[in-house]
Amino acid sequence: MKILLIEDDREAASYLIQALDECGHVTHHASDGETGYAMASGMDYDVLIVDRMLPRRDGLSIIESLRAEGNNTPVLILSALGEVDDRVTGLRAGGDDYLVKPYAFSELLARIEVMARRSAPSEAATSYQVGDLILDRLARKVERGGEVIALQPREFRLLEYLMKNAGRVVTRTMLLENVWDYHFDPQTNVIDVHMSRLRAKVDKGHERQLLQTVRGAGYVIRE
Amino acid sequence: MSETPPQRSFRLRNLWRTTTVRLTAIFIAIFGFFAIVLLALIAYQSTIQLQREQFRSVEREIGQIRLLASQSGVRAVAFAVQRLADRPGPGIYYLGDPTGTMIAGNVTDFPPLILAEPGRYELIYERGREIYGGPENEIPSQGTAIVESLELSNGLRLVIGRDVGERRGFNAIILRTFFAGTVGIILFSVVAGGLTVRYVLRRIDGINETSNKIMSGNLSERVPVTGRNDEFDAVATSLNAMLERIERLMAGLKEVTDNVAHDLKTPLTRLRNKAEAALREGANPETQRDALETTIAESEQLIRTFNALLLIARAEAGTSTGAFSDIDLSEVVADVAELYTPVAEDAGMVLETTIEAGIRFDANRELIGQALVNLVENAIKYGRADKDGGGSILLAARRDAGGITIEVVDRGPGIPEGERTRVFDRFARLDVSRTEPGAGLGLALVAAIVRLHGGSIRFEDNQPGAKAVIVFPPPAR
Repeated sequence: MKILLIEDDREAASYLIQALDECGHVTHHASDGETGYAMASGMDYDVLIVDRMLPRRDGLSIIESLRAEGNNTPVLILSALGEVDDRVTGLRAGGDDYLVKPYAFSELLARIEVMARRSAPSEAATSYQVGDLILDRLARKVERGGEVIALQPREFRLLEYLMKNAGRVVTRTMLLENVWDYHFDPQTNVIDVHMSRLRAKVDKGHERQLLQTVRGAGYVIRE
Repeated sequence: MSETPPQRSFRLRNLWRTTTVRLTAIFIAIFGFFAIVLLALIAYQSTIQLQREQFRSVEREIGQIRLLASQSGVRAVAFAVQRLADRPGPGIYYLGDPTGTMIAGNVTDFPPLILAEPGRYELIYERGREIYGGPENEIPSQGTAIVESLELSNGLRLVIGRDVGERRGFNAIILRTFFAGTVGIILFSVVAGGLTVRYVLRRIDGINETSNKIMSGNLSERVPVTGRNDEFDAVATSLNAMLERIERLMAGLKEVTDNVAHDLKTPLTRLRNKAEAALREGANPETQRDALETTIAESEQLIRTFNALLLIARAEAGTSTGAFSDIDLSEVVADVAELYTPVAEDAGMVLETTIEAGIRFDANRELIGQALVNLVENAIKYGRADKDGGGSILLAARRDAGGITIEVVDRGPGIPEGERTRVFDRFARLDVSRTEPGAGLGLALVAAIVRLHGGSIRFEDNQPGAKAVIVFPPPAR
């Protein structure tokens, strides 16, 4: 992926660039708002990572200008402001996702990979398939190897989100945000419990385990 | 705190600057002005009336005598004039023939001009004793009079008039009364105004004094309330309520700083020790990796604590009210129950719900959800019937005349009666050994969120178990 990082903290930026490079992504860096805006509107990127508070031009105004120009590149906003209201303003300005500092790199990586995928056209697919697991979004039916799996509504949404992002790691907070629409950080392993229930229904009795845990990051569904 | 010495009371030269003094002065001026105008008007009117009355009676007498002169002879006229002249009073009468010989009357000596030319005159005359019937020594020798001089149809000269001394005396009395009244009014208003000013300034001084004491650091000071229920009491009461809130916020802030100092420094120290130990132990990749992973886990816990503290502080300050909207509270409660049912089951517990459908509430959905999650997590953590697990949790929501009630009930060991309010303090934890993870901020956050939404929370004894009761009173309309 080709990524533009607009971040004024040089140390944080160089750490991110190196880490993204290790994951096989090409990252360009702008250290102030004006330069960042010029680079974002002049070149084609797969994902923009924009710090909210920048010298010379703030992050939200960059996003608003890009959106006004018809530039729909997915944007991940980084911010130290973590209130619900801050998140809402960020997303309203045209951001696609919002990550509060300090964050884990695995969280950032998972989010930009899912985001880049989100802009791909397969968004509106009516069914997802991973191996012999088929999820029919219209009939709200799940089958594995021709056998119907009975799921609770929430379990269905959980599996739907995982399958929509098949092959990409999703974190626990991403699941809580997208499946339950809550942005706080649960103290207990509540997501793990739900995942193990889902796994029991989807993978039990099958040789291929589709739902996999990625240590230190989250979950992924893949063949 | 401030470098200027507290201004304890108003100096005289500053008195004029106070609104009360100015307003009082303006009222005194306006009131005095109108009182004077009113008195002057009364005095003027009564003088005019008196004068008019005198002229009218003079004219009446003239009319009668003219009539008499046209019908009867000189004798009858002289007799009538003499009879009028003999009455005691301020009347002045003179009847003479064209040659200047007096026929009747009570004044003998008139300047010839008056007799020659008819008309109205004011003159000083020699009074005969006939005018006043009183003792001789009291009769003034001279008087002032206004007279009407005319010629009757048979050529006789008639002068009729009134001594104005009495009237002028009366005028003087009116004038004296007028001045006395005016002076009285002004004195009275100044005294009354002064008393008002003194009262008002004293009350305001009370408020000033209190705020000075507060500025110099004594936050527990309060504005005196007299109990008279007047507007000053209203101001004092609302000021005191404000001070109460400020004091509570300050106390909260102090508590937070104290707690931050203690409960954030401890894990930071631990973090640092781990890193140092890892450095010392050298290049064993296994232990280094372990140390780094614990470091990250520790720092995550720190961030969590820090976020919770920030959220509590904002919820308590009431600044986090931006994201309020009309939410379906029943749905939020059901969501939380659904989210935690598997967790409870894994802990060997049952999570049951009795949720009234369609409870709508103006709230911050995220925060309410967070509060419920904290309560349910607590119930799962501490609400087990015994050490091996087991037990049940009930999540209930209902609405009635008393507002909206949410209950989280467990059947565990419960909370000792003396601890039921302390558990809402920051970093308060029941088990001193601190075996369960968590920083002791969960319930403090719940309490802050509930307060932000105008509600209250308390713990009750469920016999056995703990029952957290949240009540949001119905909105006052």
